Amino acid sequence: MLNGKNIYKPIRAKLTDVIDESPLIKTFVLIPEEEFSFKTGQFIELSVDGIGEAPFTPSSSPVITEKLEVTVMKTGYVTEYMHMLEPGVYMGIRGPYGRGYPIERFFGKEVLIIGGGCGLAPIRSLLYALEHIKDNLEKVILCYGSKTPKDCVYKPLFYRLNNTPKFEAYRTVDKADEEWDGSVGVVTTLLNKIRINLNNSVAVVCGPPIMMKFGTIRLLEMGYKDDDIYLSMEKNMSCGLGKCGHCMMGEFFVCKDGPVFTYDEIKDQPDIWQ
Amino acid sequence: MQYLNINKEEWDKTIEQLLVSYTIFATVNNEFGLDYEMISPVNIGKISYNKPKPATSLKTFFLPMKENVTSGRSREKQRIILGVPNCDIKGLRLLDEIYLDNDFKDIFYRERRENTILISSDCFGKQEHCHCLSYDVKPYATGDADLAAIQLNGSIVLRIMTPKGEDFVSQLSRLQPVNDENVLSTIETEHKATESLLLSSNTGVPDYINTGKFVNKAGEAIWKKYSSSCVSCGACATICPTCSCFLLIDKMNFEKVKQLDACQYPGFERVAGGEDALFGLHHRFRNRYMCKYVWKPEKFKSPACTGCGRCIEACIGKINKNELFIELTK
Repeated sequence: MLNGKNIYKPIRAKLTDVIDESPLIKTFVLIPEEEFSFKTGQFIELSVDGIGEAPFTPSSSPVITEKLEVTVMKTGYVTEYMHMLEPGVYMGIRGPYGRGYPIERFFGKEVLIIGGGCGLAPIRSLLYALEHIKDNLEKVILCYGSKTPKDCVYKPLFYRLNNTPKFEAYRTVDKADEEWDGSVGVVTTLLNKIRINLNNSVAVVCGPPIMMKFGTIRLLEMGYKDDDIYLSMEKNMSCGLGKCGHCMMGEFFVCKDGPVFTYDEIKDQPDIWQ
Repeated sequence: MQYLNINKEEWDKTIEQLLVSYTIFATVNNEFGLDYEMISPVNIGKISYNKPKPATSLKTFFLPMKENVTSGRSREKQRIILGVPNCDIKGLRLLDEIYLDNDFKDIFYRERRENTILISSDCFGKQEHCHCLSYDVKPYATGDADLAAIQLNGSIVLRIMTPKGEDFVSQLSRLQPVNDENVLSTIETEHKATESLLLSSNTGVPDYINTGKFVNKAGEAIWKKYSSSCVSCGACATICPTCSCFLLIDKMNFEKVKQLDACQYPGFERVAGGEDALFGLHHRFRNRYMCKYVWKPEKFKSPACTGCGRCIEACIGKINKNELFIELTK
């Protein structure tokens, strides 16, 4: 038999709960059969037995290791099968892979987080991690945009954050409904409301490519330096090991060199917003 | 470097004896041209030496088209691969960097590498599209392979290049040190003749580093022009000694099958939401050259193109990358 760890073999994880977050988004609560931990911003390959696997950044706290939560939007072949799963079945996990958020570099700073749509999933994990080290941070501001109020995930999170010292959370929607009394407009409009010390701040952007693009442009206009903007990139990460080639973005393997990059690191690479 | 000599008939007998403990693949000239065949006592005499270059690249011995990478495998019998051209030997260096990197070692690849004795072949002569020397790859190996076997006047001359090669020949009998100066000077003359042929037939082809610079600067028009006859068949990537992208396919019980893939196939970079940075044919076409000459050199030490020319031979759209590169220099 072959010696050494098999990098392609998933570990089994029991699906213990499925939480409906929005019409298209569910959170899967998993208990891995083997020891498993991750750093916030790293991703896993999550598989449906016999169907396929896809990359996701866990949405739970990296501090909690006995269970793992993954928030999944129904958007393709594998995720459609995931949305049909019931608690009790086993899923496969490989990872964790890649370079997550370097939260030690956020110490002593104000952290501005811009999120859109399902991009709030990795951000929730980051927020848990930042709550854990809040004594070392000046302030954390979350600006989040979704298409409609119904598409907004983790609604209780906003209330909780706004009642946590040093944390502020703002929401906007592209299109309001009758009950919505908050902001309307793209997520960058929220940036006009916030007070932040640009000289002592870092920004994190995570969401759909179009939002990442305009979010980054707005941050640069505000005066953020290229290496103070952290982007969580989305590519077709298949192996997670820097080998299969599917997630190449210029000279980078997004799966291994990322998925979190500073804007400075990738601004010259092609197609970063696709 | 140490050279040893053995009479050809005795070498053939040695190979027959080695078949007891090794699976041997060697280059044989058949009706389709030169390619690797599994050797048995029947075809030992047909093994071809000094000829460029087998149709199949060396990577297929280490990265099968398809393999289950989750179920346990028994250790394979030791292998000898005989007749490997230096372009493929150099190509393997890049695969080593990718598959044996310190963070994630592919145990399937590693086992095959450890289990294989590589015996290279010096190319005396060239095929139409060989252009190794343009990328500073010699038409003969001086390292990386364990040995080189050269046929010369009824005998086989072995060049020993690695400690593994030294161990291997120490098990063999009937080998004599090469004392005749003429043997080495004849080999050198053949090398020079081949190098001269390679240079004269590849006039104008830019070197590896400059190719990267030209490719990086090239505008959309040239990619559209040269990709107009591309049918996205992926033959260029499949036959390339360094293209090694793959796909993981899920089977029941969380088993995974690793299958070679190519960036020339539509959907290679498509993500679940439908975005596809390589949607356009000319984008995919350009991607392969950017990968080989611009991006891989930023990341890896070994070249991602060794000038074997197989992609030109395999292309059913008759796309000649060297014509493209020469046009870029103008």
